[in-house]
Amino acid sequence: MKMVRTGLWSFRFSTAALVLIPAAVGINYIGKLFVELLKLPLWVDSIGTVLSSMLAGPLIGALVGIVNNVIYGFTTSPVSFVYAITSAVIGLVTGIMAYKGWISNIGKALVLGFVVGLIAATVSTPLNISFWEGTTGNVWGDALFAWMTAQGNPLWLASFADSVVVDVPDKMVTVLISFLIFRNLPKKVLTMYDTKQEIERL
Amino acid sequence: MSLLHVEQLKYRYPNRSVLALDEISFTVDKGEFIGIAGRNTAGKTTLCYALCGLVPHFFKGAYGGRVLLDGDEILASSLSRITSKVGFVFDNPFSQLSGAKFTVADEIAFGLENLGLPREVMHERIQESLHMLGIEHLRRKNPFDLSGGQMQRLAIASIIAMQPEILVLDEPTSQLDPQGAEEVFTIVEKLTQDGMTIVMAEKKMEKLAAYSDRILLLHDGKLIQDGEPAVVFSREDLMEMGVEPPIYTTVAKKYGLRKESSPFPVTLEELLAFEMDEPLDGLFPLQEKLETSHIHIEELSFSYSDGQKVLDSITLDLSSEPIAIVGQNGAGKTTLVKLMKALLIPSDGRIVIDETDTIDTTAAKLAKKVGLIFQNPDDQIFKKSILDEVMFGPLNMGITKAEAKSLALQQLKAVGLREKAEENPYDVSLAERKLIGVASILAMDPDIIIFDEPTMGQDYEGKLRLQEIIAGLHAKGKLVICILHDMDFVSEVFGRTIVVGQGKVLFDGTTKAAFSQLDIVQQAQIELPHRYQVARAIQQKREFAPRTS
Amino acid sequence: MRNMTLYVHLENGSPVHRMDPLTKMFYVFTSVVISYMLPTHLLVSIVLAVSILMLIIGKVFRSILPIIGVSFVLLASILVVQGFFHPDRATVLWDIGPFTLYKEGFSIAFLILLRVLNMVCAFGVLILTTKPDELVEALVQKGLSHRFGYVLLSVLQIIPQMMALTGKIMDAQRARGLEMEGSLWVRVKSFIPLLGPVVLRSLAETRERSIALEVRGFNSTGKRTRLHELPQYPYGTVAKTLLTSLLLFVIVWRIWL
Repeated sequence: MKMVRTGLWSFRFSTAALVLIPAAVGINYIGKLFVELLKLPLWVDSIGTVLSSMLAGPLIGALVGIVNNVIYGFTTSPVSFVYAITSAVIGLVTGIMAYKGWISNIGKALVLGFVVGLIAATVSTPLNISFWEGTTGNVWGDALFAWMTAQGNPLWLASFADSVVVDVPDKMVTVLISFLIFRNLPKKVLTMYDTKQEIERL
Repeated sequence: MSLLHVEQLKYRYPNRSVLALDEISFTVDKGEFIGIAGRNTAGKTTLCYALCGLVPHFFKGAYGGRVLLDGDEILASSLSRITSKVGFVFDNPFSQLSGAKFTVADEIAFGLENLGLPREVMHERIQESLHMLGIEHLRRKNPFDLSGGQMQRLAIASIIAMQPEILVLDEPTSQLDPQGAEEVFTIVEKLTQDGMTIVMAEKKMEKLAAYSDRILLLHDGKLIQDGEPAVVFSREDLMEMGVEPPIYTTVAKKYGLRKESSPFPVTLEELLAFEMDEPLDGLFPLQEKLETSHIHIEELSFSYSDGQKVLDSITLDLSSEPIAIVGQNGAGKTTLVKLMKALLIPSDGRIVIDETDTIDTTAAKLAKKVGLIFQNPDDQIFKKSILDEVMFGPLNMGITKAEAKSLALQQLKAVGLREKAEENPYDVSLAERKLIGVASILAMDPDIIIFDEPTMGQDYEGKLRLQEIIAGLHAKGKLVICILHDMDFVSEVFGRTIVVGQGKVLFDGTTKAAFSQLDIVQQAQIELPHRYQVARAIQQKREFAPRTS
Repeated sequence: MRNMTLYVHLENGSPVHRMDPLTKMFYVFTSVVISYMLPTHLLVSIVLAVSILMLIIGKVFRSILPIIGVSFVLLASILVVQGFFHPDRATVLWDIGPFTLYKEGFSIAFLILLRVLNMVCAFGVLILTTKPDELVEALVQKGLSHRFGYVLLSVLQIIPQMMALTGKIMDAQRARGLEMEGSLWVRVKSFIPLLGPVVLRSLAETRERSIALEVRGFNSTGKRTRLHELPQYPYGTVAKTLLTSLLLFVIVWRIWL
């Protein structure tokens, strides 16, 4: 029998964890689809990433993030390749914080969302600056960016602010929704990703 | 040495307190066909898992006793080693696809690539198994574009190509329509004739009786009996364990047809060896006509946006008694009931429910009037507990939480899930989730209740419960409409049957008349109820008999 | 919803289609890197022109337009924000009402625009002329883990199946009195009843799919084989050498010269 490292940074992924990746990317897509259908004023395109991190840890979460953007880049908009790093970091941070207990109640989940949003904005800022001089393509964020640069603020600050006003509320909503769904998951699903299970002898 | 040797096998799933398998022992020899019978919670699926190593290697949990495969102990072996010898096919055709191959031929290759076979051997085996399963013409199609029956045949082809020594089939037809099920059974029969060793769990006892050398009767995780089909199905206490014997045995038991102390017949041939007359009385009950809501359908046509015409000028009046709607897949049955629920708008003609035209209302507003219970409960389930799930509909109607709760509990009691109200819907079986779907619509107390395929996947007890629910609704003056593939259920419960085919109403009248008109039965490609088939066979034999004697 | 596919690839057998997927991938990388290193509008325009030429040879130029359309907001935003608000404002180019378009900002905006357009077109060359399974197959044969290859292909197969569920779920919840239209609050409230079933269903399904993979030897440790031989691609070495030298040249030029 092979040694399988278990715990937070387990590298040898179980089949169940691998199969979770396509499902989670699908959830990202469908979440976005419903948001557009209901005409909600949000993005919320990473519910699957966040959920998979809560279920199977930071590495699977990060993989979901990368695969999500690669596939989205392949099928809809190549620009999304650029943000694969941001998506990976979203999965990573959620996975670590969830493991440390930041999804035990709704208040903590909101803090988690806030932190994820802030870190996502931090990672996106250098990308936005090097690829398109700081804008994000979000109308409200870019309006703020324009106003701030016109006021003479440094580029990095304006660009960061541009990302923050978009990412923080969006990630807080994403994590909140994911948390509400996660709470309702059956034991059958939860135990599937529990790598610490052993066979007990009767 | 037998191929499979199971000794005092015990198993418990993680985080569970009851044993799923309890002290099970039996053996399987090369070339044998072993059937597994039992109700939905008996442990059939778990036993199948244990034979192919998924228990305990995939599921973990607590394991006792041992299973020897070709002399090797499964517990000490690796899963990939076991699965190279034991092929496993389960009920859901869709989730058995690898999900990463874009043609049928490549799908079959998936397992062969993992085995590391040379390219020429792969091509040979793909060709062989495509041929054997009769799906050669589909080899370039995307697996996800196949029908349920075709998908399931592909699943079997993919396993057969890996050339296992034993094939384990876990209810391979329970999620298929009758046509798809027949396709799969034809294959199973062929494999049996070719000498394949097969273990099959199944609800269709007529099939188990016809194929099996021995039957394992399971109940609450225990092996009750391991014996020949005739012996197992002749047991007096079979029904108490939630297993209905083959129809032929039931008829034989009714008339006491057996030779002295030997068991009852289990196949049609065996039954026909006896001299008897099976009257059709009581086979097609007529339901009392009561005052109910009324659906009036006038010259109704419907086409989807791609121009495909599904319903063609249908006129019907529905009221007074439970009504069955039958017909082949794609005949337009589900479209018809969606129109009744205002989920679709007629392309032409109209539907009037009591006084309301469906064009002037929405599905949500019709909640109190028409309840539609969909085929797959998993399309709607999203709450943490069964109780919350059932309360969702009533709460949408704007009643108080306390009222919603009492309505929900009442309906959960009716479907037999009162004790499980606090459990997560996904921690119970699919058959039970279907009953959650039923309760969640009934809790809204609509005047008209439409069921889409309620019996699919239900065992004997589940069907009995549905029969009671329908009778109860009828007695309360509700109009019940039911789409069904299960003709046995139609003939036992419904007095009026509507046959739909190619978007038209082919027949509307008493159930008895529907099955008596063989041209309509043929045109709509529906099966005859088993009881009726038996009666007809006996009748034919009697007509034939005088000439030979 | 059957026959729905997610990927945009179009088959027509052009020379670009017949190229090695990995070479095309390398082309995308080189083209994007170079476009960001080159300093002048003219040079970046040449890089863009090459990408467009490739699209034309591949007979897929028309299909790139909707893909550019998806990035339209980003492109427009770059033009407006940089053109009107860039901090280096000296030369007035144009007055539009209360706003002034400056030459410096516009010049920068135009350069970024060319680069982003090139990024989209270069990726277009890859995604419009390459079958995803062929690309993944090539990557796996070059050493990408087969498990990860499985994940990539399975996403493409499974998302259309999940999308096909959405209609059924909406019907099922409307049948239980869920309102999906109306005030913002009504629409927000209906989000979880719609997404919840997709999540639960697909997670529950992962269990069955894992079983299906296990019984097909997905985890076997022996050596694997592949059913399809990789086709022989023409000019692979030539193209790769050319691209590498170009890349090296630009790097050396921009950093040391």
